Amino acid sequence: MRSFSFNAGVLGELHKRAGVILALVLLVVVASFLSDRFLTVPNLMNVLRQVSIVGILALGMTFVILTAGIDLSVGSILGLSVVIFAGFVDQTSVPLAIALGLGAGVLVGTVNGLGVAYAGIPPFIMTLGTLSFARGLSFIYTGGTPVPILDEGFFFIGNGSLLGVPIPSIILIVSLFVCAAVLTFTPFGRSIYGLGSNEDAARLSGVPVNRYKVAVYAISGFFAGLAGLVYSSQLSIGTPIAGQGYELDAIAAVVVGGTSLFGGKGSVFGTFIGTLIIGILANILNLNGVDPFVQQLFKGALIVTAVFIMGRSMRAR
Amino acid sequence: MLKATLLAATALVILPTLAIGQERLPVSGKTCEELTAFYETLPFTDRLPLDAGPVEIDGEVRDITIGFSQTAFNHPWRVSMLESLQAEACRHENVSLIVLDGNVDVAKQNNDIRDLIARGVDAVVMSPVESAALVPAARAVMAEGLPLIVLDRDVPTEKTLFIGQSNVTMGEQVARRMVEDLEGSGKIVVITGLQGSSPAVDRDRGMRNVLADYPEIEVLAVGDGQWIREPAVPIMEDFLTAYPEIDAVFSHAEESSWGAQLAISRAGRCEDGILHYTFDGSNAGFEAVANGTFQADGNYTPFIADVGLRAALYQLMGMEIPEAADYDLPGKTLVLPDSPVVTPENAAEWAGLGWGDFAPTPNPCR
Repeated sequence: MRSFSFNAGVLGELHKRAGVILALVLLVVVASFLSDRFLTVPNLMNVLRQVSIVGILALGMTFVILTAGIDLSVGSILGLSVVIFAGFVDQTSVPLAIALGLGAGVLVGTVNGLGVAYAGIPPFIMTLGTLSFARGLSFIYTGGTPVPILDEGFFFIGNGSLLGVPIPSIILIVSLFVCAAVLTFTPFGRSIYGLGSNEDAARLSGVPVNRYKVAVYAISGFFAGLAGLVYSSQLSIGTPIAGQGYELDAIAAVVVGGTSLFGGKGSVFGTFIGTLIIGILANILNLNGVDPFVQQLFKGALIVTAVFIMGRSMRAR
Repeated sequence: MLKATLLAATALVILPTLAIGQERLPVSGKTCEELTAFYETLPFTDRLPLDAGPVEIDGEVRDITIGFSQTAFNHPWRVSMLESLQAEACRHENVSLIVLDGNVDVAKQNNDIRDLIARGVDAVVMSPVESAALVPAARAVMAEGLPLIVLDRDVPTEKTLFIGQSNVTMGEQVARRMVEDLEGSGKIVVITGLQGSSPAVDRDRGMRNVLADYPEIEVLAVGDGQWIREPAVPIMEDFLTAYPEIDAVFSHAEESSWGAQLAISRAGRCEDGILHYTFDGSNAGFEAVANGTFQADGNYTPFIADVGLRAALYQLMGMEIPEAADYDLPGKTLVLPDSPVVTPENAAEWAGLGWGDFAPTPNPCR
């Protein structure tokens, strides 16, 4: 039951995340040597906005992976919420469209959770099913044609900024702190670590395992919907293929951020840094005009190297 | 609460199913009535003409089933191609379609085509995911003695007829227009379609064929826009950060051009007057050319499947396919002329003749 004492303070958090933070610092230093335009405020704001969609997905994914689960459906849920936002925002009102889009995310997430917790379907299979199902719904809803969004206010959510910080990045950072608070200060958040490292032990000690599992998938669904909000408002279009393959980007961010795929170990701060590392890598490769074919090599190598180093440092401890 | 959730989930499944039930054709969701009106606007109805009404084979009217295997229905261009096919089928009451979705997966499409053969279709129309990988499936169709019509991307093996336009010459046309506008010198960035896909390769080749004669035009960087909007935004943002001077964006898809334009507006570079050269030929794209957002739109039409269906029916009726010509691959081809690139000069006459009925995105720079 050691993991029940996992709510370390900020300093402890820094210590645990030392490897990831070091990697981030190193990447920033290298990047600033490779391009004199890297360390400029507009570019850093670009990076922060560019990572917001995958960053938000990865926050929800962290909850699921902490329980030793996986959520493959987040890209499809994003796509579903995107077409719902697009379908309702011009016809009805922005708040109603947002409520419906986020609601759809929570609904599909809840279905995932019910399947995993109560029907005993392995998370990989359950969410693989909803990956296909939710994507199918988006195609049926739109007939395969993108739905343009003309509402100016909605466009502002994805493209405006407050005090120079893009709104999508603010959404990401606020979500990050809310998630961190939930994981650190609530019984629910702390039990998730226990549930992930030893489900039976958690159950025996009175953790409502099934309900908590439903909750983590619903949370993941919610954040997929929120990422869909950023997506559709940034691009002012609801395309049914939105978010294809994003589940893998989100998983990569979580893993690079040091969260264990076996559950019980990790944090949303790590995930955030993992998201930044992947985002900065893409940014610096683009700034240097690196061929898109070669960019894929860098990304692949980064993921494997990060996990290799993390694995070693975990074992060393 | 659990019950309510399950009920809501069930409703989510059933509602769309009901909506499809009302005589609406699969995937496109259109009725035959709508498609018959739309048939009048198709560009190539004068090729292999065929009167409306039942199709007779050997003096006998029987049910004819045509199998259609599409690359995927993940892009409205692909849905529009299907609409042209359905529009032709709607004109002949004894012709029905079996439509299969290849999910951009060559293995799936291979299986789909074998399924069509097993279901006893009278002819196969296919638009392959990729050339070489569909050769075994194409051979299987020919071995059954069924007419095989290949659309858009060719298959290097025996077939009844290949119908398509050339992405290489279309790429050349759009690039030539760009070179004219830039007066032979300038700095450009390229946002490709999904890297490795054949239209992206061909459009790039067309562009490079033209640029080979203009060493003063410098390609600063290339990014993978994957045909869609989202990836193009960060790529263009980074290009704008890296290069203070960009004269034009050569993008393989309208969607990616929209993404690039969004990045330009967010970077506060609207005043730079960066030009857009793009492809797709949608009505939204034509409007964007007319109002000056795009400078040229490669007019790659999806409306060729009606010609494909007529070719299959000609074959079944034992009629010669006029204009079918030998070419450098096995089988015959029906050469369709490149539709002219849509530019500000001809945008008005092309209005409404492209594909897709969605509105263009508002230009974020205005």
